Amino acid sequence: MVKKAVPFIALAALLVFPLVVKSDYYQHLMILVLMWVVIGSAWNLIAGYTGQVSFGDAAFFGTGAYTAGLLVTKLGWSAWWGLFFGGITAVLIAMPFGWICFRLRGAYFALATLALNEIMRHIATIWEKLTYGMLGILIVQTFASKLPYYYISLALAVISLITVRLVMRSKYGYYFLSIREDQDAAESMGINTHHYKMISLVIAAALTGVAGALYMNYMGFIDPHVVFSLHDISIMAILVGIVGGVGTQYGPAVGAFIMVAVQELFRTGGYGLISKLAKASGSETIISLSEFITKAHVMGFGILVVVAILFLPNGVVGDWNKITRLVLQKKIKGG
Amino acid sequence: MKRLSRILLLVFLLGAFCPSVFAAEAIKVGVILPLTGKQAKFGEIEKQSFEMAAEEINAKGGVNGKKVELLIEDTQGKPDVARSAVEKLISQDKVVIIGGGYTSSETYAAAGVALNKGFPFLVNTGSADNITEPSAFTPSGQRAEAMRKKLDGEKDPAKKAEIEKEIAKIEQAADMEVKALIDRFAIFRLNPPVSEYAGSLESFLAEVVKPKTVAILHENSLFGTSGAREFEESCKKLGIKILMRESYDAGAVDFKPLLAKVKQADPDLVYMISYLLDASLLMRHSMELKMNPKLFAGAAAGFTLPEFPQNAGKASEKIISADLWHQSLPFPGAQEYYDKFRKKYNKDTEYHGAEAYAAMYVIADVLKRAKSMSPKDIKDALSKTDMMTVFGPVKFISYDKKVNQNKLDTYVVQWINGKLEIVWPKKSAKAKYIYPVDWIKERQ
Repeated sequence: MVKKAVPFIALAALLVFPLVVKSDYYQHLMILVLMWVVIGSAWNLIAGYTGQVSFGDAAFFGTGAYTAGLLVTKLGWSAWWGLFFGGITAVLIAMPFGWICFRLRGAYFALATLALNEIMRHIATIWEKLTYGMLGILIVQTFASKLPYYYISLALAVISLITVRLVMRSKYGYYFLSIREDQDAAESMGINTHHYKMISLVIAAALTGVAGALYMNYMGFIDPHVVFSLHDISIMAILVGIVGGVGTQYGPAVGAFIMVAVQELFRTGGYGLISKLAKASGSETIISLSEFITKAHVMGFGILVVVAILFLPNGVVGDWNKITRLVLQKKIKGG
Repeated sequence: MKRLSRILLLVFLLGAFCPSVFAAEAIKVGVILPLTGKQAKFGEIEKQSFEMAAEEINAKGGVNGKKVELLIEDTQGKPDVARSAVEKLISQDKVVIIGGGYTSSETYAAAGVALNKGFPFLVNTGSADNITEPSAFTPSGQRAEAMRKKLDGEKDPAKKAEIEKEIAKIEQAADMEVKALIDRFAIFRLNPPVSEYAGSLESFLAEVVKPKTVAILHENSLFGTSGAREFEESCKKLGIKILMRESYDAGAVDFKPLLAKVKQADPDLVYMISYLLDASLLMRHSMELKMNPKLFAGAAAGFTLPEFPQNAGKASEKIISADLWHQSLPFPGAQEYYDKFRKKYNKDTEYHGAEAYAAMYVIADVLKRAKSMSPKDIKDALSKTDMMTVFGPVKFISYDKKVNQNKLDTYVVQWINGKLEIVWPKKSAKAKYIYPVDWIKERQ
């Protein structure tokens, strides 16, 4: 009963969040979180539920972002149309790719997605007539306030979560799961695995493309290295999925929140707390140590991710019971 | 024991927050730089230069009796992180001005925020041309720009005239939009835009080298691509035939296939826009291939760094490059800055560092003159800046489509006996350029 109420409570909290927290900074971080919820749940559908691990989400993300940007510069339309067309173009990329590459399985498919990512980045870099290459696309943000972006992101995040939920509750969901568990068995049951893998990929690509268009609208600037980035988009999408919980409904939502918050926490050195504490201690060694820690934030972040994957293989949502058990035990011992 | 440690922790925490109460008097200045990631090397030089300048300013009594507190945030060279950093600096840390901005993409992201809030932002390195063009931040301005690109491909004169007419119309609309925006446009830039980097190299080519053909090699980045495009335009002006323009991904390991192609084309001039490692490798591989054009020329960046001769060895000798700054320039404090930096950090500095060092002094000067710490007053003070720095005279002017842009001379430098010397323009030259060069003999 309580568990069922959690998503609604979270949604209510998110709805009032920008009205309570007026700081642009936190609103900005929450917009990023909500964007990653969309990307993460899309990745979760194809990789977590259908078992086709994708290393190339940036291909769809970048396609969506470029669609939105090019609508402005080439046609003079509003970039918000990108939310619709970005999803469609991402699907147009996903269909031929899936049709060819779903003959591959496991690691080979993952490598193909990686290649798709790189191919798209090179096309965007080299085809200067269309994409302006590395000059990138600069557009004007529609709103000065963050509120519209926040609620649009929130709406998209909710839509993507509901989409994944509806799909997974339909017969498609069962097909996807059966493909993940044993593709040969699924095939022998009469499931057209190629067909259903395509459906899963198309939904995921559409959602990721929409997220890309949202990024273009919100950030106002893209170039091929930003939106087709392997480590900043594709790998981040995987981490959001893994840390939150692969193949769980709300895993990507939790994962997005954790990843953005923790990354920011590390980048700013615990929001400046570490350096303040060090300075207060007055010791030279501690100050230089704290400086080192803040400088090595990327490494610290990496270590944390490794630890999370090692000890919580099912992610925070998947291993929730394990976490609560651990915390409770500690309390018993401590008390 | 447990209780004791808890009390200790509490005391520790209290102690941590108390100094921030006393330090409230300081004026906070936010700086965004890439301190991790690919561009970290330059971010580090700039960070150290900013810190060094701030220490000096504070040692001399700060700004109007108040200390300057630098808050330097890492952008990782990414736009979304840069945006997080800027939002944090403005709304959490309550800084009064933003400085820094290294890569063009992070500068765009920060500029977007600054523009939304009318917040003062002094860019010191981000070099994409349109960062100081308000029309680039208006919908009509962008459309006009896109139309103009279309114009380049159009051959039919009737159609061309039609498009031009339409552009004129859109530009009128853009002017109106710029007018509405200009009050909020508090983005200023200390360094010249990338299109002007090669300014004096052009005159050097026109007057000394007079090449007939050129091959342009550039890294795949905004800096590389736009620099190459601008150089193409200059070549057209100078009547130099462009045999090839090739790009590569920064961090390539083997330039021989690319250079073999260049060798086959046999240009008079090889012009390269590259960062350090690529620049060194390009030169080493060109030596191994025994290339012998009239001139190898670089576009600042990698070719002027102190590490360039260390990495490229004798292949770096006699290489010519465009440059924005050199410690031997007759600007007050330039040589001192260079020496102080060497002494303090035990390494060499170059133009990026000088930009950052000068930017800190400009910011201090602006804060001194500003009527209040409100964004509007700081913007007014910025636009009235007229001072000398180690990087040269700083004054923000408007020309062409640009506003708030500092205009600077550029230089041509040459590696002579392992030392970087200014050789052009004549009035600033400290050594006579060495040309022509027989590269094969030179590199034996």
